[in-house]
Amino acid sequence: MEETGRRGIAVVVVVLAGLAYFLVCALPLPKELLLLPVWTRGLSSSPASAPTTATLSPGTEVRPFRTDANFGYFSPAGDILFSAPGPDGLALAKDSYATYDRLSTGFSVKAPNGAELFKVTMAGYPFFAAGRRFVLAPSQSAVTELDSGGAQRWKYEFSSVITAFGASPRLAVFGLMDGTLVGLDPSGKEMLTFASGGSRIPGIYGVAVSPDSRYVAAIAGLDRQRLVVLEKRSSAYRVTWHRWLDSDFRRPVAIAFTEDGKRLMFEAPGGVGVFESDTRNYFLVNSPTADRLGLSIIPRDILVLLTGSPDSKRLVCVAPPDRRLVDLPIQTDRTFIDISGDSIFLAVDDQLLRLDMREE
Amino acid sequence: MRSMTSRHHRIPIRETWIIVGLVCSAAALGGLWALDWPLAQVKVAATFGTPAQGRMITGVALAAGDGLVKAVDDGELAFVFDGKTTPSGLPSTLGAFAVVEQQNDLAGVYAHMAAGSVSNYLTVVKRDSILGKVGSSGWSEGPGLLFELFDRKRGDWVNPLLVLPPAPDDKAPVIRSVALSSGDKTYVLGETSSIPQATYRISADIVDPSDAPWTAGPPAPYTIRLSIDGTEIVRRVFDVAVAANGELGFFTQDTSSATGLRTPDGRYLLGERLLARGRSTIELSAEDANGNRRSVSWSVTIR
Repeated sequence: MEETGRRGIAVVVVVLAGLAYFLVCALPLPKELLLLPVWTRGLSSSPASAPTTATLSPGTEVRPFRTDANFGYFSPAGDILFSAPGPDGLALAKDSYATYDRLSTGFSVKAPNGAELFKVTMAGYPFFAAGRRFVLAPSQSAVTELDSGGAQRWKYEFSSVITAFGASPRLAVFGLMDGTLVGLDPSGKEMLTFASGGSRIPGIYGVAVSPDSRYVAAIAGLDRQRLVVLEKRSSAYRVTWHRWLDSDFRRPVAIAFTEDGKRLMFEAPGGVGVFESDTRNYFLVNSPTADRLGLSIIPRDILVLLTGSPDSKRLVCVAPPDRRLVDLPIQTDRTFIDISGDSIFLAVDDQLLRLDMREE
Repeated sequence: MRSMTSRHHRIPIRETWIIVGLVCSAAALGGLWALDWPLAQVKVAATFGTPAQGRMITGVALAAGDGLVKAVDDGELAFVFDGKTTPSGLPSTLGAFAVVEQQNDLAGVYAHMAAGSVSNYLTVVKRDSILGKVGSSGWSEGPGLLFELFDRKRGDWVNPLLVLPPAPDDKAPVIRSVALSSGDKTYVLGETSSIPQATYRISADIVDPSDAPWTAGPPAPYTIRLSIDGTEIVRRVFDVAVAANGELGFFTQDTSSATGLRTPDGRYLLGERLLARGRSTIELSAEDANGNRRSVSWSVTIR
């Protein structure tokens, strides 16, 4: 009788403890991330009444897009400024673009509405990044930067073939076949020269510069390959972190900082490697082989990645380090991604769509 | 003006260590030359130092309409690019290209191959391994291959013709003219035999004939020598090129900026010299990498 009473008390205690746990300790279920379609536009040709920047209200933001078939500009509201067949040679930025031939000895730089800004007479291929305009010489070992009027700002001959590039508004970093990183400021002055050692075969396979120029990262060397992160301290860049990688890439590697510069993402075997510059944390987001990254960081700390093989991609949204919120297969070889705030702009085949992220 | 041509044995004169090392290693492997040609048929279209679009070529351009590109030596594939834009947006003026890490700290660059043909599965490369197909991808004036050789230890480009077998070429370079300029006066040797005493800027128009012209400028000779009264005052040997402080320079001895090697109209600048009163004999010789040599001399009265 006494034993039965004790057993009853024990049961009550356990039930109360369980109840207390659920009331006090349990975490609320995390909100789900939803991708809400806002609009869809065809990209196969320009609409007959294609608006231009002249007809758009002043201050309207325009963004470039490029798929394997087309390129052009759109506004976040869904206006397609134009969509034209993409030439083999194209330099594209938010504020301008240039098309060029294989044996280009000159090109016109045009505004998003097609108006010519200036002409450049120079052999080589233009490329635009971080609001800066460059021309790669036919040798692939020399670069010229243009000023806002198209005149030569500086020209620099590198010691060997350029294999990688990354830029911020204040620093352009070139990775070379011989394993050297060279960083130049907008006046062409050397701000950084770094020879990455430690590997049997030197080489630079990818370079990224944080938007504030504080960090420079590179995928360097073979046998073994490593990620090197340099940080600007006082006036010089010094190695602040490095990690030996399992990768053996012998081709250009996708690597980029997020817009706030706090995360670095790069191709890694089995997914996307993520390095957090503030905490020095490193983790891997598992994903099929990433051949190209569309990267951004959303204010809510969500990583948006476009990964996959050339003909089969996945749109992946991850809450760090590894909580996968969205994993959307995209069966196409023509994909483009751009992110602004909570909006994802995704081109699939001949369609451009806007998806807004909402947590519910 | 006296002119003569001669054919010498091919004697590479650049750093002995690299040549000896390469030839010895080739000999050990039973080969005659340190490296093999990357194409089955060899038509040299542009040599080391040939001007092309405001720059000078730091390799050798081989013209070919078709065919396979082969590794010139054993090595390891260090970098391969299919010719499209990189993830960072960097284009490729070398088109589809591969870099093979060879022995002796040399890296071979094979450029302008057919897009999509570059091997991306090879890692270990044997001599004659197929790297891709001949193409015209990137900024190349015609179908063929640009082959460059980079010395990792010294950080410079090496003239590949130093270590490749002799190309089928028995034509000596052509010396078209030599000019002496002082102020706004220019005297072309051969057209005048008497010039006033002055400090002259000496320039020469020299081309190495090619059956397969590929680039904008005529192929450069390998060596240019200028002698005055029997004393050699200029020797330009297109053996290496090195970029330092953002500028490209040529020659192991007396490295000169690439931008100062030629006049805007393509003549080789050979320096300045005071020519004092009296008679002088000016001799210019040009030699290609095969040892085909041409010499021309002029006797001038300086008044």
